[in-house]
Amino acid sequence: MSDDSEDSQPQGVTSRRALMLGAVGATAIVSIRPALAQTAASVVTCQIPVPDPGRAGNYIAADGSLVPARSPGSFAPAGTPFKGADVKTALAGGQLPGTTYEQSRAYTNYIRRLQSGTSGFTCFASLQMPRG
Amino acid sequence: MARPESLRVAHLDSFMAVYHRSSGITHLITAPAPEIMAVLGEAGLTFAALTERLAADYELGDTDAAALAARLDELVAAGLVSVA
Repeated sequence: MSDDSEDSQPQGVTSRRALMLGAVGATAIVSIRPALAQTAASVVTCQIPVPDPGRAGNYIAADGSLVPARSPGSFAPAGTPFKGADVKTALAGGQLPGTTYEQSRAYTNYIRRLQSGTSGFTCFASLQMPRG
Repeated sequence: MARPESLRVAHLDSFMAVYHRSSGITHLITAPAPEIMAVLGEAGLTFAALTERLAADYELGDTDAAALAARLDELVAAGLVSVA
């Protein structure tokens, strides 16, 4: 693959293979991450609900812990799950879309505390995978 | 492209499984990703040169630069291709 001269692609004009580059929104890669035994279509498109639907009635405290609804200083659950790409930006110091600074910090702290078995954990773990 | 020695490749009918030793992640890739990686080679190419080589080597059903850029972005996000 790295050495295309050995890739046995016919070079003749009459035998060129057809190739579609695909639509912009299509995907050509599915990544399987070790130890998680799950596939995530893409770290860009995977989603993290805040909080986990199983604990949807709770609010999110500034440190990311879940607290009873309307606890002082806490934030209401996010209306829609956050995309992997947005979370990655937030983990790197950015802000989650549609949130205030403090709200984004609380949500990001919640995401950092995600445990295996919690909705969104696979996506979060995927974001932590080393590249290179 | 990622260093060839960092990749283990298996062809699975219409898929190609690429195990990336550096990240420990296996990627199932389909056309046109394997073709793009093959054309890029280890040395890599500019976007314009890649477009030219793909058009020379393959009968392109579409020559949408945005679609090619999207495929490249995926490969970069997966760690299989790097931007110089």
